[in-house]
Amino acid sequence: MNCQEALEKLWQYLDRELDGESSVQLQRHLQHCRECFSKAEFECRLRALLRRSCGCDQAPPELRERLSRLLRMF
Amino acid sequence: MASRSSDETSAQATPHAVSAAMGGSADAGDRPDATDARERFEAMAGAHLDRLYGAALRLTRSRPAAEDLVQDALLKAWRSFHTFQEGTNARAWLYRILINAQYDRHRKEARAPEVIAEDVDDAYLHAHAWESAQLRDAGNPEIQVLDGMMDDAVRESLEALPLSFRAAVLLVDVEGFSYREAAEILDVPVGTVMSRLYRGRHALRRRLWEYARDRRYVRGDGA
Repeated sequence: MNCQEALEKLWQYLDRELDGESSVQLQRHLQHCRECFSKAEFECRLRALLRRSCGCDQAPPELRERLSRLLRMF
Repeated sequence: MASRSSDETSAQATPHAVSAAMGGSADAGDRPDATDARERFEAMAGAHLDRLYGAALRLTRSRPAAEDLVQDALLKAWRSFHTFQEGTNARAWLYRILINAQYDRHRKEARAPEVIAEDVDDAYLHAHAWESAQLRDAGNPEIQVLDGMMDDAVRESLEALPLSFRAAVLLVDVEGFSYREAAEILDVPVGTVMSRLYRGRHALRRRLWEYARDRRYVRGDGA
């Protein structure tokens, strides 16, 4: 697998959506190619950043209470 | 988007469940069941409320609108709770209702359809993906750029994406759904999810790069 093929499949690989054989080939490429490895690392970090900044909100307590009240009415 | 009229219809047409839940005009024998159903629904909705609210914030871009959306979606979900099969993916079911509700609002509010660069072909994007996502400078590792990235900037960059791209990135990258689950939630083929994800991710990286570039320009240490 060359760098272009590796980069085309990188997102699918990180999404755990790549088939077994391609995953093995990509893993092998990442072990030997420093540049692609650093891109993979960048993608992992970006995803962690996205989850931290966009996935940690808490619903306001008033919303929770309102919903509970409404569910009893409907 | 494909029509979801069957869902909507079933969501509207549940007078039995609704009146039973109110404990009013339904048969007396239904009451314990209805109370039980409401308790199960409340437990399920309560467990996912924070994440649904977070997703609603990204979809609506405002706190009051996010609260309205979650409320609207959960009341719809409650009305069609009798169609929910226990043991199936509750989280995906709730997200589907939430996103449908947002699409309904979006259609009503949109004065003009979003301009989506569907004509840009994938080969072009592939060729420019890593150069134009230039979160990489000579001698300046990309990761350092990410370390300096503010959460607000990330949120704003995601929220700036067109709704269809934003929903795909939100479901897969933030919420961790598989392509297949995202396809079911969005009611589109898996290939469409992949395409929206691909374009959404590129657009997101471009915005983050622009943010990083502008920030360095402001601080006066390069650009």
